[in-house]
Amino acid sequence: MRKIEIMSLMTVLMVSGFVRAEEGKQQVQGTKLTAIEILKKADGVVNAPKDQDIAIEMILIDKEGKEKNRKSKIIQKGSEKRMIKFLSPADVEGLAFLDLPDDVMYLYLPAFKKIRRIASHVKNTSFAGTDFTYDDMASLNYADEYVPELTGEKKTDGLKPVIKEDQKQWQEQEFDHYILELKPKKGIQKDYSKLIMWVRKDNFYPIKIEYYSREGKLHKVMIRTKIEKEGEYWIAKEVEMSDLKKDHKTKMIISEVKYDQDLKDELFTERYLKRR
Amino acid sequence: MLKHYFQKNLLFLLLLTVPAFCEVDIGGEFLTDNRFRTEDKNKFTCNENRLSLKLDSGISRAQFHAEIWLREQGFSEVSSSSDLQEKDKEKISPSSLEIRELYIDFYRFLSENLELRVGKQRIAWGTADKLNPTDNLNPDDLEDIMDFGRHLGSNSMKLTYYFGDLTLTGVYIPVFIPAVLPSSDWSSALTPAFSLPAGMSVQNFSDSIILPENNPEESSMYAAKIAGKLFNYDLSVSYFHGRDDLPLVNRIEVTPTGASTVNAVAEMLYPKMQVIGADLAGAVCNIGVWAEGARFVNEEVGMETFTVGVGTQTGIALSEEAYFKYVFGFDYTFKNGLYINGQYLHGFVHERGKDNLEDYFMAGIEKKFFNDELKIKIGCGAEVKDFDKVKDNMAVMTMPEVSYYPVDNTEITLGAYLINGKDTTAFGKVKDNDEIYLKFKYNF
Repeated sequence: MRKIEIMSLMTVLMVSGFVRAEEGKQQVQGTKLTAIEILKKADGVVNAPKDQDIAIEMILIDKEGKEKNRKSKIIQKGSEKRMIKFLSPADVEGLAFLDLPDDVMYLYLPAFKKIRRIASHVKNTSFAGTDFTYDDMASLNYADEYVPELTGEKKTDGLKPVIKEDQKQWQEQEFDHYILELKPKKGIQKDYSKLIMWVRKDNFYPIKIEYYSREGKLHKVMIRTKIEKEGEYWIAKEVEMSDLKKDHKTKMIISEVKYDQDLKDELFTERYLKRR
Repeated sequence: MLKHYFQKNLLFLLLLTVPAFCEVDIGGEFLTDNRFRTEDKNKFTCNENRLSLKLDSGISRAQFHAEIWLREQGFSEVSSSSDLQEKDKEKISPSSLEIRELYIDFYRFLSENLELRVGKQRIAWGTADKLNPTDNLNPDDLEDIMDFGRHLGSNSMKLTYYFGDLTLTGVYIPVFIPAVLPSSDWSSALTPAFSLPAGMSVQNFSDSIILPENNPEESSMYAAKIAGKLFNYDLSVSYFHGRDDLPLVNRIEVTPTGASTVNAVAEMLYPKMQVIGADLAGAVCNIGVWAEGARFVNEEVGMETFTVGVGTQTGIALSEEAYFKYVFGFDYTFKNGLYINGQYLHGFVHERGKDNLEDYFMAGIEKKFFNDELKIKIGCGAEVKDFDKVKDNMAVMTMPEVSYYPVDNTEITLGAYLINGKDTTAFGKVKDNDEIYLKFKYNF
């Protein structure tokens, strides 16, 4: 009798385990979200505002903890037009970068009073000494450039080694996530063989991206923290990019953000690139 | 001298007081630059402290900008004890004040898409890297031949109209300003030799320069440019009507002073010219590419050689036959951050006339190390005067440079100019001028 009870209990446990696993599957299937849909939603959340005007402080931190500060202003319209202007320090003040559709990029060099068209070979190089490449600063619609695969769903265990001390930050990250593996689409040249993107289930905000080199090694990690809702839109108030190869990181702190200011298209032209 | 002294003090006073009354952003750069020869007893050739001040002010539709250089430059020129007693200390430590730019921008001027810039300004045209045949509006500033591409500002009016992807620019420069020439050590690179009777050499040389008459017809210059995009390339076409900013010898008076020596007095002028230019920039297979060309049409300038006791010979100093200068270039950044840049140039800035244009190859590599704290750059230039006899008609200039950025806003640079070549070439004429330099820079 007791044996039967144990067998029944085991059966119940096994079945309930199976049911829970099935529930997990159902959760993905139930939402009917494919990898590309999740990625498009993630792109959509980040690029939701019609336009953005953001003041940013960048802190460059080397392996000895030595810091360098940069201040810049970013304006963005939709997901395809973005302009970045450096405000400080003095040796980069006035340096400005304009990213337009079809890989058209311009750099204004105030020392030469000239706007230079920059070719796509520059895309994978460091942007003004930071750990972000020009491509990292420019590529905003991952769904256009990468093929995603849903590889799993996790809590934020993967973030633990990177996010330290700050308990508030850690608690903020306690959400369920989709894990997407992104590989560059055919014909699109990237410096990375794949990206692993963590997308929050509750609001589809991509909170972490791991960048793998062409050799398959983890090269860089980007973490978005202090994710808050400003008006209608979600925004990460801090973004940290760590270059594991160089043991160097860049922290971007958003000090001010304005949405939907009806920024005109003409602001995203060479005409405004050189203007103070 | 004293006037100059008061002018400088007045400027300082203005700089100190103006920001107190109106909102002016002040920024700039401090530079020290010392150079010495590798030969010639390691003679110092440059001793400069430069404070470059940039002032900006304005409201949304009008902005003011000025760039002023305060320089202590050169070496003591003291020759007597009275020179040591001069209050302005000019002979002890020569200094100068220079307004590089001073202009006002009017945005949305008369129309939403029209901008006007008035005042002393640099108008940089062309897509090539420092070697720009279409960049003829501002006078060349060749004072420091190694800072090639530097120009003076011109007092001018520039109107820019934006129409979709097209940009139309019109420029009017009322008064002609000539170029600044390099010091005598370097000027031989840019000066064509003039012929004397066999076996004769110049004992004394002097010259006089004839500036254009000071009226709109003779002195004013104007230009226009239309720029746009086609097949993902940036294109522009330009026209310039003005004068060559480098002087051209049109008369020489030769006076024999001995059996084999003469005194020569040259007369120089600035020929009128028209330039039709075009440039493009874009990418081919991820490689940045650019091209720029300009067709120069000069007025014909005659040449008169008067030899005392012999008579006058006449010829042509500059023919009216059009000539074409052009440059092609590329750049690429490798995955490891190594940057390379190469250009081919036909016709250097000082070369005029179809048969006098030489070929130049420029290349540079650059890489940053230690989180961009160290930069190593090697530039190289080769001049080929005659492709049939390259060995005897070639010169090479190498420019290695190391820059260290210890903290933000600072730069320490150590470098050299090393020149080798035949005397027939422009570079070769200055092959004994190899130099080492050390520069410190601070931005604020």
